[in-house]
Amino acid sequence: MRPLRSGRVIAGAVIVAAVLMCALLAPHLAPHDPDDQNLIAQLLPPAWQVGGDADYPLGTDGLGRCVLSRLLFGARVAMEVALIASLGAALVGSLLAYVAGYLGGWADWLIGRAVDVWMSFPPVILSLILMTGLGTGVRNVIFAIVLVDWTRFCRVLRSEVIVVARRDYVSAARLSGFGHWRTVTREVVPATVPLLVTLLSLEMGIAVVVEAVLSFVGLGARADQVAWGQMIADGRQAIYQAPWALFAPVLAIFVTVAGFNLLGDGLRRTLDVRMVEGRE
Amino acid sequence: MLLILARRALTAVPILFVVSLMLFVALRVLPVDPAAMSMPPSATLAEIDAMRSQMGLDRPLLEQYGIWLNQAAHGDFGQSLHLRRPVLRLVADTLPATIELAVAAMLVASALGVGGGLALFALRGRRAELAAESATTVLMSVPEFLWALLFIFVFGVLLQALPFTGRLDASLPRPDITGFLLLDAVLVGRVDVLWSALAHLVLPAAALGLAFAPPIVRVLRSSLLDVYHDDYIRQARLRGLSEGRILCRHALKNAALPMLTLMGVQFGFLFGGSLLVEVIYSYPGLGNLMVDAVRNADLPIIQMVGLTYCVLVLAINTLVDGLYVVLNPKLRRR
Repeated sequence: MRPLRSGRVIAGAVIVAAVLMCALLAPHLAPHDPDDQNLIAQLLPPAWQVGGDADYPLGTDGLGRCVLSRLLFGARVAMEVALIASLGAALVGSLLAYVAGYLGGWADWLIGRAVDVWMSFPPVILSLILMTGLGTGVRNVIFAIVLVDWTRFCRVLRSEVIVVARRDYVSAARLSGFGHWRTVTREVVPATVPLLVTLLSLEMGIAVVVEAVLSFVGLGARADQVAWGQMIADGRQAIYQAPWALFAPVLAIFVTVAGFNLLGDGLRRTLDVRMVEGRE
Repeated sequence: MLLILARRALTAVPILFVVSLMLFVALRVLPVDPAAMSMPPSATLAEIDAMRSQMGLDRPLLEQYGIWLNQAAHGDFGQSLHLRRPVLRLVADTLPATIELAVAAMLVASALGVGGGLALFALRGRRAELAAESATTVLMSVPEFLWALLFIFVFGVLLQALPFTGRLDASLPRPDITGFLLLDAVLVGRVDVLWSALAHLVLPAAALGLAFAPPIVRVLRSSLLDVYHDDYIRQARLRGLSEGRILCRHALKNAALPMLTLMGVQFGFLFGGSLLVEVIYSYPGLGNLMVDAVRNADLPIIQMVGLTYCVLVLAINTLVDGLYVVLNPKLRRR
């Protein structure tokens, strides 16, 4: 397997796996309940600093909650959104891309215009408007990301499908009596899987950021769920007294997104597919 | 050129129409009642019902849209439910601030992107290339709001070197001519106002620009690498031209086109990113207006601001297409 020899793929995969483990094992790893308030120990610095408490390795926030525990539990929301939302967006976007690229004609025109309409909105604005309508909650965040980001898959995959569908072996399959369904699933889809995997990995990073953004503005996870974006919003209030409470979630988002980006970037190189550059 | 611009602008009209319809429908099916929101809490159900029919909310959705479109055509985009002011006024007051921020950020992103792309290209084939390339991947993982928070922390809190709230020092008078603060400061000839406005703009613009620079770096580098495979570069080299001249006069001209397309897309996305940066820096622009409206479920504002962002993106796309034709002689003759 060529991808496994790329340093980026390995580094990315290790980071993503580590964050995923943190999310899965959060109840066992966390030293405290993430919502437990210790009002005597507010705004403690990390354990290695003067005044730190070994009980709270990364210190506490303004309500005396353990930053490390909140970080670990925040990883659950982040990974849940990243995995489910990007798979959903990939499913919707690639289905439409196969339909548009393979059938062409009016289907292609219709889907192309839909993409145009979607692309005329900055993604942040569109997801904000959607969240106004849907209300807060992790499930709605996932739904909003799928509704906003399917175009990323559709745009890039469609042009790839058009190229693949014109290749000789696809015509050969049609001539030997394959139906449309069988041609697409057996001949076209396998040729586009590398691109799909790459896009999926990059989209997971984007989903983490979008979830953090929405939670930061107060439109993401519900108030009783722990999310990194919320921790940032809370930490911003106490930026002078407790900068680490702000730093910890910022660092967590950065590391997670970097993991997904390294993975996607490495896959793109090793699987050698054409890729349109661009980000939110 | 003008013809192409006009044609592009015409294709934007149906998109805008569809977007306005979608926005209207999406915001009307919300479980929020604008009539109840615009009344004092002590209003009776009958009073709210009267308000509903006065606002036309009891009519079919499409008819409501027709009414809205007709009023919009006459320049009436409705009243804010919360602030009780015409929405058009609110948007016109905040739009210049957002444009100022976005343009400044785009300048930062372009300067960093072109500089970084050239630097990365100059490193090709050396051992440092891999490290530099990985660095761009890592930089791409820092979204604008993380830069914004980081800058506040480093320059605002640790060094206390730069201000990080608002557009202008509270003690200074705010000149109000065009709404573009930098321009206004020059127009009234106040150096201190200009200086203060610039100091307030540095951090948000840098945060936003830095986040959008890495993709530009990558596209410029990869299209330069492509271009250098072409025969005319070898030809130029055989003619004895210096490397610098080949890069500036021959390679960059062609490599700039894919970068320009990307920058057009980026500029549109940048307006979306400016929303967060505005919120973090309490910068009084469109983004803060939008977030406040979302929190108060102020539908007329959400609708109008959404539409404004959409117009901005479409306008940028049209301009970039026009610029593309100007810069690419292959497209000009047709």
